[in-house]
Amino acid sequence: MTIRTRLTLWYAGILCVSTLLIAGLSYREFALEKSSASKQFGSEEAEQDWWEDVVQISILCAIPATLLGLIGGWWLMSKSLSPVAAITEAAKRINDRNLRESLPRTGNGDELDKLTEVFNSMTERLDASFQRIREFTLHASHELKTPLTVMQGELETALREENLSEPHHERILNQLDELQRLTKIVNGLTLLTKADAGQVQLKKEPLRLDELVRESYDDARILAHPHGLKVHLQDCDEVTVLADRHRLRQLLLNLTDNAIKYNSANGTVDIGLLRKNGHAEITIRNSGAGIPPESVSRVFDRFFRGDESHNGEVDGCGLGLSIAQWIVVAHDGTIEVSSEPKKSTVVTVRLAADSRGSLKDFQP
Amino acid sequence: MRVLVVEDEKKTAAFIGKALQAEGFIVEISHNGSDGLLLATTSPFDALILDIMLPGRDGLSVLRQLREKKNSTPILLLSARGDVNERVDGLNAGADDYLPKPFVLAELVARVRALARRSGESRATLLQVADLTLDTITRRALRGSAPLELTTREYRLLEFLMRVPGRICGRMAILENVWDYNFDPGTNIVDVYIRRLREKIDTIEPKLLHTIRGAGYMIKESR
Repeated sequence: MTIRTRLTLWYAGILCVSTLLIAGLSYREFALEKSSASKQFGSEEAEQDWWEDVVQISILCAIPATLLGLIGGWWLMSKSLSPVAAITEAAKRINDRNLRESLPRTGNGDELDKLTEVFNSMTERLDASFQRIREFTLHASHELKTPLTVMQGELETALREENLSEPHHERILNQLDELQRLTKIVNGLTLLTKADAGQVQLKKEPLRLDELVRESYDDARILAHPHGLKVHLQDCDEVTVLADRHRLRQLLLNLTDNAIKYNSANGTVDIGLLRKNGHAEITIRNSGAGIPPESVSRVFDRFFRGDESHNGEVDGCGLGLSIAQWIVVAHDGTIEVSSEPKKSTVVTVRLAADSRGSLKDFQP
Repeated sequence: MRVLVVEDEKKTAAFIGKALQAEGFIVEISHNGSDGLLLATTSPFDALILDIMLPGRDGLSVLRQLREKKNSTPILLLSARGDVNERVDGLNAGADDYLPKPFVLAELVARVRALARRSGESRATLLQVADLTLDTITRRALRGSAPLELTTREYRLLEFLMRVPGRICGRMAILENVWDYNFDPGTNIVDVYIRRLREKIDTIEPKLLHTIRGAGYMIKESR
């Protein structure tokens, strides 16, 4: 039961009882006066009349008054509680991107206006701290690049030194490998924080998605070869999308690379592109351990690795799927992961097909 | 050949200078944009390495000034920001190459050399390293007398490596030229293709395709 209904019923109930009380008391007063005046007549008859009249008048007064109370109360409650509904709607809409939109205030200084004020200042503070985190990560990833450049350069210079002993040489090479990994992570983080801050611009153009999918299928076959995996291209409908070429290639490469890395021995990767009601639907299915149900919702989280015990076996920066998700969202598409544990995992990407492209497709 | 390095981070400037000197370049170093511009306009260089974020005058402005003055010295831009738009802006403003920080030193050296040679470069149509030959017109590759079956990508990779025999090709340069990627794909795709290519061309001795760990790949006759 909502607050509005509860308050209205209470309001109507109190109104009903008080009307009855007032009607009863005032009639009694009136009737007693009348009966004392006519004491000489038959008193028993008068006593009975008195009760009937009370009941009749009570009904006649109480029903309209209660109805009026119900309707008026409902209206009054709706009016005074409407800012609450507005706050609820606003809170529903809020995410880390639109924190700057504040709620309109009534300005009449009542409790709800105060609540709105507090709510607004809270989102402002949240926005400021989100902003600080974004700036911090952006600066951090930027600041990390200078020492990384220096370390890479110094190590490579050290590698050129003559009379370098073999173990020393090997140690430097290992450090260079780790440095490359660190560089990948920093590059991935820079991209994501820039994307968060809205600093990455996409160059959208009409693209034949089927050509890109075919190309990534070719790359996937080569990438899968050392693992002994089979890659199949199931369907590849002709679809044009309005998208950034480099980013879509990055997306496809990320997803196929993941499907290969997290696979079982002698497993398969199935790639498909379907055209469905104005959408391009890319599916990438792989065999393999799958993802436990409790982890499915977290696969897009930065640095999330499903199975802790497999961390060491798979190389990667832990940002691939986060980047993939950003690319899809930046193209107003959707990306979903579903998994049957110990069997398969399917990643589905939906992008809006470019209508100009489809018109051209239908030409004879 | 003379190279000017305009880089405010002193350590970075120092090891770039050292590496280029080791390769036989004569190197001048400048730590800010205005001095760099003055040096570049008053004496001739074969190539210029220009950091974008510089005190005094930023790299892009130095680049524009030079190009306005009809100075066509090949310029390689370095940047710690490393976003796609900056790269495009730089190339549009007249830069010849762009390398995001952190970079592999060997890759930088290879690119500078490519820039300095660019003017006199000939586009040979028949490339040869030992008994491996590649005809860029018919797109046929032979090891000895045996023809090699190559996919388009493998062919482009082989051609890219064979254009600079005996020189290191960095992963970034390969990704840019063979895949047309201007981003770090975060995968080992280059290594896997190299392995495939090696399985095809290095079936007989001597082995030609070499991995230079921490730097890149190279095609040459012997180690």
